[in-house]
Amino acid sequence: MIFSGFLIGLIFGALLQRSRMCFNSAFRDVLLFKDNYLLKMALLTVAVQMILVHLLAQMGLIALAPSGLNWVANIVGAYIFGLGMVLAGGCASGVTYRAGEGLTTAWFAAIFYGGTAYAMRNGGVFSGVWKWFQGFSVAPFQYFDQTTGEGFSKLYLQKAGQTLPSVFGVNPWIVVVICAALILWYVFGTQTSERESKIGLKTAAVLLGAVGAFAWYFSELVGRNYGMGITGGWSNIWSVWLSGKPFSWDGLSVFGIVVGAAISAVMAKEFKLRMPRNPITYVQVMGGGIIMGFGATIGGG
Amino acid sequence: MADYEVSRVIDVRGEVCPVPDVETKRAIKGAKDGEILKVLVDYPLSVERIPESVKKLGSEILEVKKNGGSDWEIYVKVKKQ
Repeated sequence: MIFSGFLIGLIFGALLQRSRMCFNSAFRDVLLFKDNYLLKMALLTVAVQMILVHLLAQMGLIALAPSGLNWVANIVGAYIFGLGMVLAGGCASGVTYRAGEGLTTAWFAAIFYGGTAYAMRNGGVFSGVWKWFQGFSVAPFQYFDQTTGEGFSKLYLQKAGQTLPSVFGVNPWIVVVICAALILWYVFGTQTSERESKIGLKTAAVLLGAVGAFAWYFSELVGRNYGMGITGGWSNIWSVWLSGKPFSWDGLSVFGIVVGAAISAVMAKEFKLRMPRNPITYVQVMGGGIIMGFGATIGGG
Repeated sequence: MADYEVSRVIDVRGEVCPVPDVETKRAIKGAKDGEILKVLVDYPLSVERIPESVKKLGSEILEVKKNGGSDWEIYVKVKKQ
């Protein structure tokens, strides 16, 4: 049921719209306004999803499939992506849900972001740069032996990218417990910035984390071993549009996010076609979108 | 709804995040004590975030008024120590 991607996207989009979740704002609010509300929401979402995803893997419902580790590409790509999202006015999911809210600048950012990601992986513009960075890939790790079933951990695919557990040689649950504990300490043990919002920080984080985790399960059912993916989703939408390729699970989920955010915004009377007064802003967000797509593709996400 | 003696209107409708917040902050810094600013904003995240950053700067939020669709008016009373 590839259509489950669309449904998961619908719910996720509505949640993003109501919770105002955005990684770009999350980090910047801390630096610019000394406001940690969104960062706490983002981190708590990560903790919830981390625990649930490992539980699903423990129950044998999914197999974790971390993409290949590439120190150089991950760091350089993430840095470039960060520059891009500031110009574009939102992170990948931020731009996607705001496109649904009617922010016209987000449409341009998303189009250029997805288009660049699609081009780079399909022999188009900058594809040489992407291939060059692939040269730094760290070889995948063998998590267990196919024939004997013995090995490091059976939570993962037989062969997948290196992870903190595989690098340090510890049980994945130890890493989960340590990371989750650090996040919970930060979220609940330090002072939180006040904010009047539609759904509280904790509720939003638990719901977003849960939807994110179940996305893995539904995606696995159609043979796609991964969670939500915004870059891959936009890239797929481009391949459908340009080359008549079929929709993938993540392509449908991104489509769902836009529609879900739009429905949620209309219901909350927050839908509006927003336009900046200074047209230069469009140039800025298009440039930002290209840089985002470039960075995301190099970084492998 | 009381009418305020607004000395300056900051129209940040349609602006990309976080321009509405930054412009508001800038306007407060440039204003005199007791001045009332009216911020026009159509971006939901900023509507929730601006009041908190205004309070942090020591100024007062007189009212956050929603006009029909996705349009808000935030009235800020500038306070300087």
